[in-house]
Amino acid sequence: MSESLTQWQRLSPWAMVSLLLTQAAEQSRQQLPLLLGAGAGLTLLDAVGWRELVLGVGVALLVAVLLAWRYYRRFRFRLEDDVLVIHQGLFEHREFKLAARHVQQIATRQPLHMRPFGVVEWQVIPVAGDASRITLPGIRQTTADALSERLAPAMSASGTSVAPHFRLTTRGLLLHGLSSRSVLVAAAMLSPLMRPVERWLHDIAPSQALPDWLPTAPLLLAALGMLVVVMALALLSIVAAVWRFAGYRLVDQGGRQIQTSGLLQRRRQSLALERLQVVEWVETGLGRLLGCGYLVCHQFGGSADEGRRFLVPGVTGGEQRRLLAVLWPGLRWPPAWTPVSHYYRRALLLRGGLLSGLLLAGSGAVLGPALTTWQWWLLTGALVVLVVVGAWRRWRCQGWAHCGGYLWVRHGLFGIRTHVFALDKGISVDVRQSWLQRRRGLATLHLHLAHGRVALPFIEHGTALALADELLAASVPRSVVEVPG
Amino acid sequence: MNQARSPADEERQPRLAEAPLEAVSARLAPCLALHKAGSWLLVVMAVALMPLGESEWLAWRIWLVAGVAGLGALGVGVAWCEARRRGYALREHDIVQRRGLLVQRFQALPLVRLQHIETRSNPLERCFGLVRLACFTAGGRSADVVIEGLPAARAEALKQQLLHRLQSTADGTSA
Repeated sequence: MSESLTQWQRLSPWAMVSLLLTQAAEQSRQQLPLLLGAGAGLTLLDAVGWRELVLGVGVALLVAVLLAWRYYRRFRFRLEDDVLVIHQGLFEHREFKLAARHVQQIATRQPLHMRPFGVVEWQVIPVAGDASRITLPGIRQTTADALSERLAPAMSASGTSVAPHFRLTTRGLLLHGLSSRSVLVAAAMLSPLMRPVERWLHDIAPSQALPDWLPTAPLLLAALGMLVVVMALALLSIVAAVWRFAGYRLVDQGGRQIQTSGLLQRRRQSLALERLQVVEWVETGLGRLLGCGYLVCHQFGGSADEGRRFLVPGVTGGEQRRLLAVLWPGLRWPPAWTPVSHYYRRALLLRGGLLSGLLLAGSGAVLGPALTTWQWWLLTGALVVLVVVGAWRRWRCQGWAHCGGYLWVRHGLFGIRTHVFALDKGISVDVRQSWLQRRRGLATLHLHLAHGRVALPFIEHGTALALADELLAASVPRSVVEVPG
Repeated sequence: MNQARSPADEERQPRLAEAPLEAVSARLAPCLALHKAGSWLLVVMAVALMPLGESEWLAWRIWLVAGVAGLGALGVGVAWCEARRRGYALREHDIVQRRGLLVQRFQALPLVRLQHIETRSNPLERCFGLVRLACFTAGGRSADVVIEGLPAARAEALKQQLLHRLQSTADGTSA
């Protein structure tokens, strides 16, 4: 198969069918609220008539098929030594070239309708980041495997174990569904259906009067409402997690971690450990209560969408320690965390107090005498409690540790995010001192990493400078270098 | 000249706080002050010409304008003083910059992370013969370090030095 890759290859014809279906589904999802909302679809139908509408849809379909055919004819790819060359473009010819040494991550995706034809969507992310992602929208599984093998030879290294070293259990999947933020994704996906469901209920309901549907006791009503909302959110969240991560397994293959997952749409992602920049251990507030979190592996220019990153979900029972040691051999969980100065808490209290004061002043100007004195006192008290608890929690969650050439930085409010990275993975460093910090001999260390900026606020100025010096020293190439002069 | 770096060599690297910094051009202070003054002038004009109708704020407009102008003057003064404090240094393995007055910043970028370099100048900077040097790293959407207030010749020399180091580092790591 590898030899034939040196010849020009085309996409699978089924890829065009898949593209058409995907685009149609995407357009339907986007236009659904417009067509169904407020009777716009019916108004349009009345205005143009059935025959014209069918004719219009037919013409649009014909244009789509012609464009897809042109796209298929123009799209071709081949390997020139270890360089992937792609020609594409509907009206403008474009050529992409990607050398194997610039490959950062390879991923394949196989939706349900592509399975019978053995066709997959193949994606490669270069070191320039996710914005430069190259996608082959539909090629045969064997071609995808051969391409992956040529562009990432470590994937086929002999003598490596193919048994998964991490498998997502049912309990882990359920806990991840409950504790992750996938509920927001699920809610966003289902939001276009809300209006049609509401209309349908309105039409079929025997009584349209709301009180007929509700219990009379206010407390029972409130409890019932809360229960329904919580259960619906939990169910949606679990469904989203099962959809994305069912059958998740992580395999170690010669310096690469390969994950496969997906209920109907199978995904396969590979991560070169030498390209790994930062690992983030995420525990949401609920996740901490349930004892479940997930790992995010960051590379250069990662996608803003967490779902497209290299994730290890549903990690329970302290297994993150073992997984971190697999991702970065020799890494040990820090025995203790160094807290930041208590002046950070004071600074947070000051900021929160100022914001609350402004909020109260604004509310006073708008609401004026609408609230009674005791209501104002209640509002002020609630704000004070929020500010004090928030500042205390934020200070308490902030911490760092430095052991064995790795720096650990954690922060959060109720959930906690812990960033772990080797010092030589830092991109740049920034030591900042406000006038308040100068008086107390403190500073804030900003570490610019592959996935963004991580701050260590209110640590000793000397410590911040020493850490910055260590990071700069670690970045010096240890191989033979050319020294000018 | 090829040299093998040892941990002892790395130990000898001067500390960040002890890096001898080179001041930026003295022309940066008036340039930044003028830029700041222009921005504040727009705000002052917006406040002065804001249509207030017959509202009670009309009587306070003069004081509002004076207050905003005072804030602007303070901002211009701070910008002037801040520009005079700026400094930078190109060391063996990194580039360092100090800036800020109320919030002081010490920025350092290892040269091994450098991907490309740009020189930029807006019309106001060109009037003062100044150039900005922007240093980019991998995966970044914007410049990681921007050194403002360099005379054009110095900026070009610095750019060439950086490109030379960049080439040396690339050769060293690929060897």
